Amino acid sequence: MAFGLRWSGSGVFLATEIRVQLHEWLAIVTGTLTPGALIVFVAILAADLLPITLIGALVYSMFLIGQRVLNEAAYIRIDHKLNELYHASPLSPEGYFVGIAGGMLIAYLPPSLVVLGILELIHPLGPIAVLSLAVCLLAVWAVSSTIGYVVSTLFKDMKTIWPYSALLTNLFGILPPVFYPLGRVPIEWRSLVLVVPTSAAAAIVNAAAGLESIAPGEAVTAAIALAVEAAVLFGFGIFWARRTARER
Amino acid sequence: MTQEALRAAEVRKVYRGRMGPAIEALRGVSLSLRRGERVALLGRNGAGKTTFLRIASTLLIPTSGTIHVFGLDVVDEPERVRPLIAVVPQEGKPFFHLTPREQVYAYLRARGIPRDAARTRTEEALGKMGLEEVGDRLSVTLSGGQKQRAMVATVMATESPLMFLDEPTIGLDPFARRAVWNVLRDLTRKGSTVLLTTHYLDEAEALSERLYIVEEGRILFEGTAENAKRQIGGTLRVSIENGGHQRDLFESFGHTVEEGDVLHVITGPERIHEIMDLALRNRLSATVGPVTLEEAFLTIVGRSIDAE
Repeated sequence: MAFGLRWSGSGVFLATEIRVQLHEWLAIVTGTLTPGALIVFVAILAADLLPITLIGALVYSMFLIGQRVLNEAAYIRIDHKLNELYHASPLSPEGYFVGIAGGMLIAYLPPSLVVLGILELIHPLGPIAVLSLAVCLLAVWAVSSTIGYVVSTLFKDMKTIWPYSALLTNLFGILPPVFYPLGRVPIEWRSLVLVVPTSAAAAIVNAAAGLESIAPGEAVTAAIALAVEAAVLFGFGIFWARRTARER
Repeated sequence: MTQEALRAAEVRKVYRGRMGPAIEALRGVSLSLRRGERVALLGRNGAGKTTFLRIASTLLIPTSGTIHVFGLDVVDEPERVRPLIAVVPQEGKPFFHLTPREQVYAYLRARGIPRDAARTRTEEALGKMGLEEVGDRLSVTLSGGQKQRAMVATVMATESPLMFLDEPTIGLDPFARRAVWNVLRDLTRKGSTVLLTTHYLDEAEALSERLYIVEEGRILFEGTAENAKRQIGGTLRVSIENGGHQRDLFESFGHTVEEGDVLHVITGPERIHEIMDLALRNRLSATVGPVTLEEAFLTIVGRSIDAE
């Protein structure tokens, strides 16, 4: 029980969430539409940027999982009151949070595996790049899941939440250099975009895959920012899950 | 573990709204439940019933006061309390994209109940709640009553030592309601304790061994349904058609309540002849029946409203 964390039952709850999502398979498919459309546009307009866009699609899809956590956590709390069923049970609040976040990760992974397969065909990744990709995607999941879960607890109706979901996705997934190279960002903005978790992840993976070179200082900044954000935010997510399991 | 399943002492809850004024939902509620008891919490909408249930089930922190569940403080030791309780939330719904069978089983497994026991209890719960035929249909395709039964089945299958049920039979047909009552009786026979809220007073009377009436965050009454009925000054109700405009004539016989064109007089058997005679002399038609818990509830809460 490191840090007093209790995980008993969280695996079952995670499996429950996966099962719930798999019954809504159309949502899993439609989640690929935005990155899929961007991939098609780039393939037509600037084919040489396609590998970067594919990596961007992977990062974006991972960030999108956080928005699915937001919607799912809000839906089962506001519409179904199932959070009360689980919070008044031996399943710990951290197990509940990680169950939703992990369930979304696994259920929505298959489309990303298809994108990864296309990337492998177009631009095979070396072991370092694969490792960087896996670690960075995991970090983006940790960040976005926490943001999603925390935002889900702040409102009392679904309609208020929907705009935040769209806002966060665009703010983190579309605006910064996720689908396009870091080199296109004006130099004075670079240090800012390197601390944004999504663009930091994209920059690190692009560099590891040999798609775009970045200065060692920039790589270190991006790596440290992403690692710290993932660890601190995920820790905060657990703290927040415990705090909001009981209203004040 | 103590013989008391729950003891609440002077529980207060003030909701401090960001925009509006603070709302005092509970104003010093004290109550207790013995092990194996079925107790109903009655009150008007907004009386504080759900707030109390949410505090007792570790979902809400009180402003002051204490609640102990089997001797454990719900505020200080929620992790130890939670394995002992289960909750049917008000207006709770099952996962729409799970079947009732999946829902009940998954919940039991998440509570740490071993696979075989979870399977057995799932089938038992579905059977008792009349859900066998729809057990493998996605909940989204079920009727409102079937969804509610799936929620109740989920919680009852836990066989937890203490269960909180917030309006568990809302939207259920009379057969399904009785199925829930039977399951609750079974559970308490096996040793579980049940605290439920309901607006169906026939349900409270049929099901609960004791009841508490809450109004504006305070307990107005504690006791059996029979005690509640006795409190209002009689065991019989005389209903007089078009008696409202002659209320003065009947007020001396006991507590009177007007309901549309009908005047109800709550009285004792010793005055029945007298009151019926008076009604006949005034060419009014009158019927006699036993006082119901609903009348007792209306009178007890009504007195409190008048006093305010």
